[in-house]
This record gives sequence, structure tokens and C-alpha cells, in this order.
Amino acid sequence: MLLFFSLLLGQALAAPTPEEMVGTLQTIDDRQTNNGDYTSLVFIEQKESGKADLVYQAVVYRRDADDKLVILFVKPQAEAGKGYLRIDDNLFFYDPTVGKWERRTERERIGGTGSNRQDFDESRLAIEYTPTFVGEEKLGNYTAQHLKLAAKAGEDVAYPVVELWVDAPTKNILKRQDFALSGKLMRTTYYPQWLKKYSESKGAEIYFPKEIRIYDEVQKGNQTTVVIQEVDLKTLDPSIFTKAWLESKSR
Amino acid sequence: MLTIQLALRNLMQARRRTALLATAIGLVTVLLVGMLSWAHGIEDSLVREATTLSAGHVVLAGFTKTNPKEAAPIVSDKETLKKIVQENTPGLDYVIDRRRGWGKVVSDTESLQSGLTGIDIAQEKRFFDSIQLAPESDYVEGGSADPVGDPMEIANRHTCIVYAAQAKKLGVKVGDVLTIQTETAGGQTNTIDITLVAVLKDMGLLSSFALLMNYDDLNELYALGPDTTGAIWIYLKDIDKADETLGHLRQVFLDKGYQVMDHDPKPFWMKFDTVSGEDWVGQKLDLTVWRDEVSFITWVVTAFNAVTWFLVVILVAIVAVGIMNTMWNSVRERTAEIGTMRAIGMRRRRVVMLILAEAILLGLGATTTGALVGAGLAAAIDAAQIKVPIEAVQAILLSDKLHLAVEPSTLVQAIFFLTLFTALAAIWPAVRAGRLRPITAIQHVE
Repeated sequence: MLLFFSLLLGQALAAPTPEEMVGTLQTIDDRQTNNGDYTSLVFIEQKESGKADLVYQAVVYRRDADDKLVILFVKPQAEAGKGYLRIDDNLFFYDPTVGKWERRTERERIGGTGSNRQDFDESRLAIEYTPTFVGEEKLGNYTAQHLKLAAKAGEDVAYPVVELWVDAPTKNILKRQDFALSGKLMRTTYYPQWLKKYSESKGAEIYFPKEIRIYDEVQKGNQTTVVIQEVDLKTLDPSIFTKAWLESKSR
Repeated sequence: MLTIQLALRNLMQARRRTALLATAIGLVTVLLVGMLSWAHGIEDSLVREATTLSAGHVVLAGFTKTNPKEAAPIVSDKETLKKIVQENTPGLDYVIDRRRGWGKVVSDTESLQSGLTGIDIAQEKRFFDSIQLAPESDYVEGGSADPVGDPMEIANRHTCIVYAAQAKKLGVKVGDVLTIQTETAGGQTNTIDITLVAVLKDMGLLSSFALLMNYDDLNELYALGPDTTGAIWIYLKDIDKADETLGHLRQVFLDKGYQVMDHDPKPFWMKFDTVSGEDWVGQKLDLTVWRDEVSFITWVVTAFNAVTWFLVVILVAIVAVGIMNTMWNSVRERTAEIGTMRAIGMRRRRVVMLILAEAILLGLGATTTGALVGAGLAAAIDAAQIKVPIEAVQAILLSDKLHLAVEPSTLVQAIFFLTLFTALAAIWPAVRAGRLRPITAIQHVE
């Protein structure tokens, strides 16, 4: 009994305060956000049981200050020219084969894969979720803070409950689990490696995952891997974040 | 009368020619009646399928927007809406409401996108009469030839019914659990695990993406209140009054201060983009008729009718040339006879009438016989319940069986149309016969 209470007390003392947990989320968000622009080349590999593997190559353009995002597919040939544009809180999808724009939700599965818009966009955890502390856990060689996040009312998020495992010393996300409103585990995401790059506009380093591995927990066997390369923080031409620019890429 | 008697006698005298022509006209009539019955059968299937799975005769639905960007196909305060419908619909049979949605259906081995329909068995009057359980062998390799499951179990929570093609694709049988994944009206991912309680025989294209689930489960999945629904289906005593009723109810709701969308003859899921792009929040009602809700497949009936008439017109044209030629030969063979009749006082007009009467009598007899034979054949094929083996063809025919519907109006149309054509084809030879001078005709030697 004494041991139990000692453990409980230890746990309570080790538990961060709500402010500290919000601070952790803000750190995670801030480190991934660039004050200026962001460009990266991404490879999205989709594995589905019983189907041939699909690999997409896309370029992601972000202007975090204005919440603007462009994802332009460049490969394979059949997908080249398709793209997403997020402006004024609206996400649009363009398909050059029909030459039409369609409005999509913020929870859009990018290219029909297991990846969401949020996997490519700036991190907004502190804005969208309220954290609670679950415990400190070992995740391989890492000591991780296990946080449970509940979506704030009115926030437009795909998953109302998220569990995060954050590397305690570096504040890098190691693992993320997304849950449906019913409580069912929908997907588990691993971030095996984080990289950083100095941003002139921010005057600090920005962090980005080198690789994101997403496992579909409902349809077991389905897996999406996102590899992020060639991150560039140079200022982008404002015309990139327009429908006309995206349309011009398929002409 | 004398003209008709003479025409009949002439037809009887040239038995072989008459028989050949009558056979050709009769066969075209059989074909026309058969094709039209098939087209009617497809239309029948469309009406049956649409008003079982997708719509009432008139549909009262709408969209709710909690923010200007996103629209949910739900209406609230359903009991008040139903009451207004019940009190203001002339020729009303009954009213039901069905909850509806769209989601990913996941089995242990597969997944597919499907339309979700929440049904309340207490409300359903015709649904359970119009469905048939599929034998287990239709969707499970080596399964029993008997149907398994009980569709009435959908009254229990966490249950669902699918059609055989879906069950086969998902690799499931009665008793298996499926996960339905969708987004709530607020945009959050939600799931529900439901047990398959029955597998139904396919009904065509619409049934290939329709999953029926417990009425309350669907609201739980969408995190909606109990007084919200997807659509109120209005069944009339006469389906032909659907358009009229739509106009009437539209005015009733406008007069009561409801916001009603302009009539757009499309199913609700084709309106999301338009409605999402409009700058309003709140609820707007949308009234449609059953045909609008399946407008994306009515092309099947239109195309089939077009092909039918195209084929028949070509065949009729060929037969018309044959009739013209035969009539002309007949006139030539009987030139001397016509000359004699003209010499003893028969007027030109009478000669023309005689030839035309022959054609009309021939046409009437042949088309009537052809129509009756065609109707008999169509009825026999329909009664034989011939299974269409190819799924793609089933989808186009909107049925897994060959369904032909013989309608009396079709027979009358076929008889009238083809007899008229026969008469028209005989005009030219008849006029030529009428123009023959008696002296030339009498001297004519074959």
C-alpha cells in the first residue's frame, strides 16, 4: 500500500502542470512554424493490403503567417498537376483532367492516402487541443511524456482525441495516435527522426520530421509513409498561393 | 364497305405475297413490342428501386450549415415538418423519414464507400415487402443455397443490412461485424461497429452502394439530436401527381416562413458543392421528386428507349420499302384489272382507296397479330425470371433479372404506328394506280 501511494505521489510530482503541458504544445507548434515561407519535396508511399503500392511525389509550399498552403503533385504522370490550395480557411482541390476546382474539408485525406492536410501544414496543437497528462513512458530508448489531447469546442479537427508521446528532453513528437469520437483508435503515426534548419526570417531553427509513418488502425495492413526532403525556407512568390498559379502548372 | 370487301378479296387472292408481307410487318411489331416492354421493365425497375432505396414519390430534405463553408444534408424539427406534410398533401398515402449519410464500410479484409440509410422498421410500410433475402451462396463461396439472417433484426441497435454484391466484395456473411467510418456534422471522425443481420438480393445500380442500418445508430454516428433526420419521404396514392405535389408543398412551406431552395433536379449528394459555396448559415429545405434523386441513372431508360426507336425506325424503313415495292408489283400485276374497274365506272379516288385499304387491312392484321405474339413472348420471358449473369449488365438494367413489362398502351401504340406506316408506304403505288388511264390499263399486257 505504501509502495502504491509512493508511486502515485511520484507520478503526481513528475506530472507537468496544465500550463507546462500547453507550453509543451506551444513549443512543438512554434518550432515547426516558420515566420516566412517554407518549401519541401515530399514523397508519399501508400501501401494497401491486396493492392499495388502507390508512390506520389509532391511539392509543399507554405506561408504560415497567412495560413496559406499549396500541395502540388508532380509524379506519377497521371497525378501531375493535381493540387490543393488553402486560402482564407478554405481548402480547394484542383484536378487538371477535368479543369475544375472543388472545395474540400480541412480533414481531407491527401490524394486519397492515409495522410491528412495537417501532416503537411503548420502544427496548431496548442490552438486546437487541450492537453492532459497520462504519464511518463519509455518508448524504445526514449523517455516520453504521454499526453492526451481533447479537441477544443469549435475547432475544425479530424480527430477529437489525440494521444501524443513527446520526447521529454527535445520536445520532439515520437508517436501520435488519433481517435474517433467513438473512442476507436483510427491511426498511429511515428516520427522516427526530426531535422532542423535555420530560418533567416524567423531568426531561429525550424523543426520538421524527416519521415512520417502512418498506420491505419481500422484497416489493418494499410500504411502511408511520408518522406520530407529538400526543405527550403526562402521567400516565395505570392502568386504561388493562387488558383491561377496551380492551374498554370498543368498547362 | 365494298372497298373493304374488295381489298380483303384481293389480299386473299395473293396469299403468298400477303403472307410474306404480313410476316415481315408482324416480326417488326413483335420486336417493337418486345423492346418497348423491356424499356418499360427497366423503367419499372427504376421506379421500384428508386422509391425503395433512394426516395419517396416526393422528398422533403434540405441542408443545415453551421458555418458558411460546410453543409450537412440534415433537417431538424422533423416531427413539425412531417405534420405539415400530412396536413397539406392532397392524395397522400403515407410519410416516412430516413436518416442518410455517406461513409467508409470496413470489414476484416476490405473496405468500400457506401451510402448509409437509417431505417426505422415501425415507419416502413413497403420496404420489407419489396426486398428479398439473398441465398448465402450469392456472396459466400460454398455458402448455403438458402437465405440466412433476418432483416427485421435491424430494429436492434448496432445492426446493418447490405446487398449481396457488397457482402461479396467485403467478404462478409451474416453475423460478421463491420466498422462504419464517417465524419460528424461538426467534421470529426467517428465510427460505429455494427453486426450484419441480413444480406439482400441485389436490386441494380443503387443497391450496389446502399447500406441500411438502425435508425438511431446513424444519428449516433453523426452525433445528431433525435429530432433531426436526413429526408422525409412522401408517398402518394398516384405517383404521377409527384410534380404537382412538389409545387404545392413548396408553396406551403414558403407560406409558413421556411427557407426553401430553388428546385434543382439532382440528388442531394450532387448539391454539396453548390450549397457549400453559398454564403448562408441555418437550414434550407429542398423539395425533389423521386426522378430527381435518381437523375444520374435515368439516362439508362432514355438511352434504351432511343436505341429501341432507332432500331425500329430502321426496320420499319426497310419494311416500308418492301411494302411499297410489293404494292407497286401488285398494282402492275393488276393493271388490266384496274383498267377494267375504271372502265366500268370506278372513280380514281376509289382505286386509290382500294389499294390503301389493302395496305391498312394488311398492316392492321399483321401488327395486331405481331403485338399479341410480342406481348405473349414478353410476358413469358418476364415470368421465366431469367437471371442476368453479368454484374455490369445488371447495373444498366437496374435488375438482376430480365424484367419486361407489357402495357396495353404499348400494344395500341405499336399497332397504330406500324399500321400507319404501312398505309403511308402504300400511298405512292395507290396514287400511281389511280392515275392509270382505263384504255392504257386494259391494253396492258404483262
